[in-house]
Amino acid sequence: MPSIIAARGVEKIFRQPRRLPGFIGGLRTLFTREFTEVRAVDGISFDIAAGEATGYLGPNGAGKSTMIKMMTGILVPTAGTLSVLGREPHSNRILNAAEIGVVFGQRSQLWWDLPVRDSFDLNRHIYDIPAGRFTENLRYLTAMLDMGGYIDRPVRQLSLGQRMRAEIAMALLHDPKILFLDEPTIGLDVVAKDAVRKFLAEVNRERGTTIILTTHDLVDIEEICPRLIMVDDGKLLFDGELKRLRATLGSRRRLTLEFAGDPGPIILTSATLTADDGAAKHFLLEDESVSLLDVLEELGRGHGLKDVKLEEPDIEEVIRTFYKTKPQLAGAAP
Amino acid sequence: MLRTLRLLPHLIGIHVRTHMEYRSALVIGWIAQAVGYGGMYASIALIINRFENLGGWTWPQMALLLAFHLLAYAVGACISFVQFRDMEEKIRFGTFDAILVKPIGPWTFLAFSGLNIEYGGHIALAIGLMIWALLSLDLPWTPGLALYFAAAVASAAMLVAALMTMIGATALIWVRSRHLFAIFFGFWELARYPLNIFPAPLQILMITFAPLGFLAFIPCAVVLGKPVPILGDLAPAASLLIGPLFVILAAAHWRWCLRNYQGAGG
Repeated sequence: MPSIIAARGVEKIFRQPRRLPGFIGGLRTLFTREFTEVRAVDGISFDIAAGEATGYLGPNGAGKSTMIKMMTGILVPTAGTLSVLGREPHSNRILNAAEIGVVFGQRSQLWWDLPVRDSFDLNRHIYDIPAGRFTENLRYLTAMLDMGGYIDRPVRQLSLGQRMRAEIAMALLHDPKILFLDEPTIGLDVVAKDAVRKFLAEVNRERGTTIILTTHDLVDIEEICPRLIMVDDGKLLFDGELKRLRATLGSRRRLTLEFAGDPGPIILTSATLTADDGAAKHFLLEDESVSLLDVLEELGRGHGLKDVKLEEPDIEEVIRTFYKTKPQLAGAAP
Repeated sequence: MLRTLRLLPHLIGIHVRTHMEYRSALVIGWIAQAVGYGGMYASIALIINRFENLGGWTWPQMALLLAFHLLAYAVGACISFVQFRDMEEKIRFGTFDAILVKPIGPWTFLAFSGLNIEYGGHIALAIGLMIWALLSLDLPWTPGLALYFAAAVASAAMLVAALMTMIGATALIWVRSRHLFAIFFGFWELARYPLNIFPAPLQILMITFAPLGFLAFIPCAVVLGKPVPILGDLAPAASLLIGPLFVILAAAHWRWCLRNYQGAGG
């Protein structure tokens, strides 16, 4: 598939006046011309094909938002080349903006005092959407996002979940080729999160809209984005499918064995003991080829085993493991 | 360009509808502004009546100066003041970023989607006072003078909008810019009075680096046939050129700041 976003060695360096500590330092800062450089994005390269859904993940300060801001034309890269839909986003900001949609989870683009429909209507004029296409898209989005009950209510009267659905609908009214979402599920309740995730997955699948999503909620990634780009300290750590990340890290399944009474120390070669609560022993299965049957066979009879619980690692566990072991895994990036 | 012009009524319309959500507050705001300015002008009138004139300007001449000052300021500020005063917050809270992802020039979006109809009170008071002053002054009107008068108001309004833009744009680099508005309004207060009452260094300053002498004094002096310090015969042309010149400077400054915009983090 052709790439619609291409980043090659993209860097963003913020130049900030050097802050000197203390009161005297504060006064000296007024007159000093010293600057420090903060490398927010450090030589990032990747390609995103049309129709992909990609999660852009990293801890706070990793450079996620800065990268999104460069792709949407808000910020100018310090070095490297960045192409979105065949253009440099910052030097073609208006053309780029006409073909992308952007949703900021923490800042609204809707008019606070006016009904949702008024904001949609203004966007119709800003994006020059033909009347027929606007009506059709509005009908589709209203139905899919269940907005019929509140589209004529002022934004200030909406719940956060309703507002976020309206924000997403507004970003899609002009049929953007790429939808950028910066933490779209932040602050939403479980039901609202679920509705947003299902809708975004549907838009990506049915309409072929390319999705780039930053989030702290890893379930967003799991349900919407087959591909994951992980960054930290501005550097690319991993770029690939979520299932490849799981495979790279191994299963690291958790096994709990519950006994009728404390059977004493249990040592297994197929599993590593992580906690011993007497009658309950917790193990980690690091080798993917080891099955539950192998463990039970090695354990043998006669310990009064009452219950067994085997848990697959959830995405949070995978990511946590990744960041803990990142120096060894940095090579996972292509 | 044509697309942007077509868009303007929609941008203005949405802001007007926002104001209409709070109609009573809007009307009270108009009345409060008009009463505030009216009270201040009454006090100036009382002082002039006591001393007969201020720097050689009689009360009707002063009324023309005050009305011109208020009208030009209100016309320029309605597309710029609140919009660019709030740039700090827009940058800190990321709402400016949300403007940058729209296929429209950010200045156009800011200026017209925030067109401040609260200046209606200023404009009504200024026009009323101006009509009274012009009727009292019995000026020798010619088509040229009338054209100059209208163009001078437009030029002064452009100067206000350009200065507000330049001040607001600095927030794109420094994040903070509100203190610069305090400096602007310091000179704006002085611009209500005849320039010749101030010491020479201040007169020079208000014609050069802080050119608010052009906001009202210089065009009114030209219309009234009074001498203009420093500029002399250049005053009529200078007062017409100052607005467009500052618009060009402000556009360049805005673009430079936008190119070097770093956000406020996050």
